[in-house]
Amino acid sequence: MRKNLRTVVTACALIGTLLASAASLGVASTASAASSTTLRVAMSSSGVDTLNPFLAFFNGALDSFGSIYPTLNSLDINGNPGPYLATSWTPSADKLTWTFKLRDGLKWSDGTPITAQDAAWTFNLIMTNSVAGTANGSLVSNFASVTAPDATTLVIKTKAPQANMMYVSVPTSGIPIVPQHIWQSHVAGLKDYKNDTFPIVGYGPWVMTDYKPEQYAKFDANKSFILGAPKFDHLIEQSFKATDAAVAALRSGQLDFIGALKPIQYKALVGQKNLTTIQETGNGWLGVEVNPGAKTRSGKPMGTGNPALADPVLRNAIAIATDKQTLVTKILDGLGQVGQGYLPPAWPQWKWAPAAADEQKYDPAKANQLLDTAGYKKGSDGIRIDPKTGKPLNLRLGIHSDDPTDAAISTYLAGWLKEIGVNLTIQPLSMSALNSDLAKGDWDMLMDAWPTGPDPTYLLGIQTCATLPKDDGTGGNTDAFFCDKTYDGLFKQQLTTFDPAERAKVVGQMQDLLYKAGVDQLLWYANTKDVVRTDTVTGLITGSPNAQGLYPVQTSFWNYLKAAPVTASSKSSGNGALIGIGALALVVVLAGGGLVLRRRSSAGDRE
Amino acid sequence: MSSTAATGTVTGRETSSRPVSGRFELLTYLGSKLAAAVVSFFVTLVIGFTIFSLMPSDPVRTLTRGRPTSEAQLAHLRLQLGLDKPIWERFLSFVNDTLHFRLGYSWQFQQSVSSLVADRLWPTLLLMGTAMILSVTLGLWLGVRSGWRQGSLFDRIASSTSLTLWSVPTFWLGMILLVVFSVGIGPIPSLFPAGGMSDPALPQSGFGHYVDVARHLVLPCLTMVLVVFAQYVTIMRSSIIDELGSPYLLTARAKGLTDADVRRKHATPNALLPSVTMIFMQLGTLVSGAITVEAVYSWPGLGYLTYQALQIPDLPLLQGTFVVFSASVIIMNFLADVVYRYLDPRVRAQ
Repeated sequence: MRKNLRTVVTACALIGTLLASAASLGVASTASAASSTTLRVAMSSSGVDTLNPFLAFFNGALDSFGSIYPTLNSLDINGNPGPYLATSWTPSADKLTWTFKLRDGLKWSDGTPITAQDAAWTFNLIMTNSVAGTANGSLVSNFASVTAPDATTLVIKTKAPQANMMYVSVPTSGIPIVPQHIWQSHVAGLKDYKNDTFPIVGYGPWVMTDYKPEQYAKFDANKSFILGAPKFDHLIEQSFKATDAAVAALRSGQLDFIGALKPIQYKALVGQKNLTTIQETGNGWLGVEVNPGAKTRSGKPMGTGNPALADPVLRNAIAIATDKQTLVTKILDGLGQVGQGYLPPAWPQWKWAPAAADEQKYDPAKANQLLDTAGYKKGSDGIRIDPKTGKPLNLRLGIHSDDPTDAAISTYLAGWLKEIGVNLTIQPLSMSALNSDLAKGDWDMLMDAWPTGPDPTYLLGIQTCATLPKDDGTGGNTDAFFCDKTYDGLFKQQLTTFDPAERAKVVGQMQDLLYKAGVDQLLWYANTKDVVRTDTVTGLITGSPNAQGLYPVQTSFWNYLKAAPVTASSKSSGNGALIGIGALALVVVLAGGGLVLRRRSSAGDRE
Repeated sequence: MSSTAATGTVTGRETSSRPVSGRFELLTYLGSKLAAAVVSFFVTLVIGFTIFSLMPSDPVRTLTRGRPTSEAQLAHLRLQLGLDKPIWERFLSFVNDTLHFRLGYSWQFQQSVSSLVADRLWPTLLLMGTAMILSVTLGLWLGVRSGWRQGSLFDRIASSTSLTLWSVPTFWLGMILLVVFSVGIGPIPSLFPAGGMSDPALPQSGFGHYVDVARHLVLPCLTMVLVVFAQYVTIMRSSIIDELGSPYLLTARAKGLTDADVRRKHATPNALLPSVTMIFMQLGTLVSGAITVEAVYSWPGLGYLTYQALQIPDLPLLQGTFVVFSASVIIMNFLADVVYRYLDPRVRAQ
């Protein structure tokens, strides 16, 4: 019996000691924060797939590369190309040769000078080595050669004029330049190289000093960074698998900043003490893709899409029967804009709106009228009959099974389409299964979403005929089997139009064609919603809000570079944890003591 | 039970031909169970490969989603991932790799599956192992006392509480605990971290690190325990109730043993067998982690890794984790068979 008592007391003492130690850790953390400052942010929800910049696709990795590797250009807070390694960039008269002048005197984090040769070596490796081109090969596909005549001059020759050259090597979305003297010995085993020797040799606002998969990435500030020194001494990006948990961490002071909140999380945080919530103008769209009749490049039909959707009248009727404003109000909680043009409003340089006569305003009566006129008669069950096939209009809508937003939208759509005599069957599928169906043409309608950076080339490109699959079904990368020769011509034209205003006009014509085709019916541009602690950080949010109160697109590159600590000892998490742990330790000890006393008092009974 | 086990145990001290016969029986028994385990493992391999390979998917498009990719890039990726090979060739390669203890190469993380599994094995075992020890201890303790005093206030409270918690969705309970003990509500301050396995700002080694990990472990572990312990309560309680009217308990009481001794030394050991089955079943699934708890608390475990593999789907990673999970369950079942032989004389008699 005494042995049992001793065990209980020892266990209580041990737990109490552990918790007390934990409390002292909180003190240590606070004390450490007093001597140096650390910015703590939530890592991109996609996480890091690999730290090898030649192989990585996930946003968490791309954000990190933007912090630790240099690029030729930067993008300013409005998405316009600016200087970084390069201070000037000049195209030749025939627009086929670009000369970049690079800064002199910059050094990699190990002290080796950064030269144009590093940039040339990186580009050439991607151009000539298929493994190195895994992630960024398409960005150099128009390059004919890249050379470095001297340490500060980089010459890029292209096969055809390329108007978006300044976007090829920019932080996060472009090609990061790596130190040749580090990477050249890893070319042979590039596929297996994890790039996890810390600190990682690079150049940028930060130096990565540690990384634990699915946990965190740690950085030290590069106080001599050419575009301005980070104000914090350290940066920690912590991985959170659930945004709700990240919000809990922010509210309790364990994080300073979270980007990309859900509407319900955002609304719950608005007006809370020590927090600032902001909305960014949407840089992507969510929409319904309609299969216009999947075909291969040679025009051979493929897949199981409903042939009725090849009729633009039916696609137009579906667009008119969709009440986009209700979706924005009810599902997005009003935190977004109704979808129109193919390119999102975050990039005003590509702004386009349909002519009043073409606008697909919500009007179910007009949609019904259009279908009546086109010969789609209603059957006894209220479902219209396709006049060409004699079959009722039964359509499938593929949605992402793990996305509650898709589920909510599909319920509205099914109701609205029923009003015009179209029966919609909702098919929740995994993203991979949706992609598989899409590639094979085995679909009628699909929920889809695309973000884009300031250069729209890729997003415009996936609507060209060249992205249709070959006859054997391979080689396709089409978004929705749209194919229009006029559009293809405009796509090539915008690529070679160097005047920004002229290029915007061409891109506008392309958006007009896409809008009228009704293949990508854009429902909304959701505002990106962020929250930042005001008691620990200042200056993190960049730019000013527009008339609607929306900020320009925020980037981790500028956010973390501009962020400054409010005070040196601003961390508060340690105190809360300290009090709590102390209280808990006390409870454990008291409970243990109480148990001992109780057992002692009843010892006689047990005997 | 202890006395039964003692008399039935085959030891080297026993003489004559019985040990030889006993050893032969033991080896035959172990051999048959081992053979069954090996067959089960290979059947599982085939089923796993087939199911995952039949999943409709386009991993290349899913991996490259949102990134500028040319036709040549996509073709190269398909080649690199081995998607150009016929399915029978991929199956043979999979079996060959498994037999050589190679788990393949993850498509999304671009590293070996075994290294990914190894990275996440310790966090998984730490979370699941701790939660299991606590839930088994708590569940059996409550189950024994509830069953012994069937219908008492203690029984009613313990049974209803455990069943209520068992019915609660794990994700929901995790979020509630997160809000209450990490964010803090009213007078309750922020007690524990909201996620992760350690505080990145602190040193990642030494005693302080272990204490920090323990702090991070509290909420996920508590969530697991609260949800899981009910099954042990229920089974142990019903087993004890089954034993209540047994004559051997009457004999024990007649011998003058206290109520606690009758319960602890006689009733509990005999009522333990169903719980042992349950414990070994749970031990088998230990390495598979708990996706919901790992997701809520951002715990870097194998459960969430499997979920990540499903999203692409990353077939080598999916198949690799499936092999590990299957092997774990089969090994634990085999061990359960071995332990049963020692715990239950009826198994030896068969």
